[in-house]
Amino acid sequence: MSAPSSAPPLRLTGVTVRYGTRLALHDVNLTVRPGEFIALAGPNGSGKTTLLRVVLGFLTPEEGAVELFGRPVGSLSTLERARSVAWVPQGENPRDDVRLLEYVLYGRFPYHGPLDAETPADRAIAWRVLGEVGLADRAEDGILSLSGGERQRAILARALAQTTPLLLLDEPTSHLDIGHQLDLLSRVRSLAVDSQVTVVAALHDLNLAARFADRIVVLSRGRRVADGPPSSVISEELLARVWGVVADLRRDPRTGAPYLLPHHLVPPGPSVPGELLGKGPVHVVGGGGSGAPYLRALSEAGYRVTAGALHLLDSDLETAESLGALSAVEVPFAPIGDEVRARLRGLLEAATAIVVAPFPVGPSNLPNLEEVARRLGRTPILLIRRPAGIEWDFADGRARALEENLRQGGAREVAGAAEMLAALAAAPVATAPQ
Amino acid sequence: MGLVGAAVVLVALSSLLGTVTVPPRIVFQILLHQVSGGAFFPDQCAGTSVAPRLCGAYVAIIWQLYVPEILLALIVGAALGISGGALQGVFRNPLADPFLLGISSGGTIGAAIIYVYRIQEAQADLFLPLFAFVGSVGTGLLILAIARGRFSSVETLLLTGVALANLLSAVLSLILLYNPAGSEQVTFWLLGGLGLATWQVDGIACGAVLILATALTLHGRELNLIQLGHDVAQSAGVDARRVRLRVILLASLTTAIAVAFTGIIGFVGLVSPHIVRRLWGSDYRVVLPGAAAVGAIFLLAARDANYVLFPGSLLPIGIFTAFAGVPFFLYLLYRQRYASTMGVA
Repeated sequence: MSAPSSAPPLRLTGVTVRYGTRLALHDVNLTVRPGEFIALAGPNGSGKTTLLRVVLGFLTPEEGAVELFGRPVGSLSTLERARSVAWVPQGENPRDDVRLLEYVLYGRFPYHGPLDAETPADRAIAWRVLGEVGLADRAEDGILSLSGGERQRAILARALAQTTPLLLLDEPTSHLDIGHQLDLLSRVRSLAVDSQVTVVAALHDLNLAARFADRIVVLSRGRRVADGPPSSVISEELLARVWGVVADLRRDPRTGAPYLLPHHLVPPGPSVPGELLGKGPVHVVGGGGSGAPYLRALSEAGYRVTAGALHLLDSDLETAESLGALSAVEVPFAPIGDEVRARLRGLLEAATAIVVAPFPVGPSNLPNLEEVARRLGRTPILLIRRPAGIEWDFADGRARALEENLRQGGAREVAGAAEMLAALAAAPVATAPQ
Repeated sequence: MGLVGAAVVLVALSSLLGTVTVPPRIVFQILLHQVSGGAFFPDQCAGTSVAPRLCGAYVAIIWQLYVPEILLALIVGAALGISGGALQGVFRNPLADPFLLGISSGGTIGAAIIYVYRIQEAQADLFLPLFAFVGSVGTGLLILAIARGRFSSVETLLLTGVALANLLSAVLSLILLYNPAGSEQVTFWLLGGLGLATWQVDGIACGAVLILATALTLHGRELNLIQLGHDVAQSAGVDARRVRLRVILLASLTTAIAVAFTGIIGFVGLVSPHIVRRLWGSDYRVVLPGAAAVGAIFLLAARDANYVLFPGSLLPIGIFTAFAGVPFFLYLLYRQRYASTMGVA
């Protein structure tokens, strides 16, 4: 490379791309360090492919700059660019039955003039990459005789034959079964480590991304909404917000990588704010529909919300899920168990403020107030004033005692949603430490 | 080397066939005499009982008529073959042929003007090719210019060609309606023929086709990558847009040369690349020169078939290429494996 080795393989600064009136990428900044394996994650239409196409020079951004190894991508000739970045598409539809070895040699194009023949060195490179993708024994076969998994590895081999320091992959596993997905990405991973190749792979499977990437960059509606190592990026909230899927976060006991077990779609709600890096989260304790107005008010004001513990079928739970909120959930009519209690504790600890809705309290949901009380002095707590004359303590006075305890300990009582929002805005801790 | 040998044998054997049948021994003696610059057979009819006057006529027929005709068949066949191969590659469509872009309709207008207004009789023989060439290239450039803004879309380009071809054919009908005298010649021209062949014509056509075919062949590597898709080619270092424009221009010029001297000869450009792919594989570094070789032999065979089937008369050569090409083309179209692997983009 003629560029100084200190320059990052890839840097995007304020990149905006528009297709007609639709924003495909919005003010995206990204710096890729040498040797990193970056997964670009995000749902369909989030801008992953667009970002790769911008890097390849297929699209010129409306605003912003794209640099490859310190040089603006627009200033590189097609050949220069092909010597610094290679591309593995989702798949190819070859029309002609070319021998695999010849096909891989196509990747040597940027190193030859029109009259040059392939040199022994080119052939050596082709054989080496065929070995790396595990297809050396198929070298003499026609590419149309390869299976889907083999064909994808053949495409990878062709891109590797370009011997570029940067490799882009666009959903390389989308047509593959789970075994071939793992196989392909493991090979890319070990190539990245062994050959010091920087890899940027668009992957819509978050679990694969978490397993193989050093760093996950999440795009949503053309914006970069999360960026970091898998353990800090992958969360249930991310999946709910960006993918609209309710899921459980687990940790792979062998690899330590986080993974998500998707359950069901977030029900389409009145508004799911797109900003993941918004204010909050604010946790709402409620039940029986008492929490819904506050959840909505918070969400509309730009706060991320969490809720619980709630029983399944509770209307507050529906509201929470429609807003993409994470919740601690117990089965109907059962007392809140230890597992749910632990989850509630986690949500409360993550919250920047806690709102206690005027919910009826019985023995089964009393642990809600007990857990809130544990946060006294650590998290600001807002109590929504209860309407007078309506009985709400069905736990033999223990609920009243706990609420009095909260009030004594510094919890603030507010009259309604507006006062709640005002109180949160005034509190300096209302913005999440990012 | 074998190819050159085969070509020499083909030329020699083809010289036996023509409107007038010349005794084989005299044909070979004339050929050897001419090729050796007069060293062999100083008397070209030696050893035969042919009168000197008739012998002179035989020499003129073989060397001034048949050989230029044969060479023109080879040159034009090569031009159509390579042009078809290049366009099939650049459009990634096995049904592409050299007349795809409506170039032929412009050439026909150019030729019709010559025939209808009898310009040729007063002027040199090269006016017809010149008009046809200008008509072809002009049409090609017009289509490219119209479609240029949306050049990324192949469909736009093809449909522009179709639209313009229809318009030009209406213009042609109008010209012929008011000048019925030229219509027979135009009909002949529309089926193609080798009637214009002279050494001068061969020289011009050969020079031009050699240059253009060489330039096209140099794009073989790029066409290989373009088969994998525009984006893949682009990512591997091929400036796909520019290569496509350049190959279309070169192929169109090559076709225009063929059209200028022989009219519209169908199926050579369509079928030859397919034969090459079946024989020698799909590498465009082979397909392009291969299609030129196969096209040359195909067209020469069509000329010979004419004289074998209809001794003594030179019919439009397009009739024979169609009779040979259409069945083969249908065979390609309906063969299952080909249909699925080549696809019709």
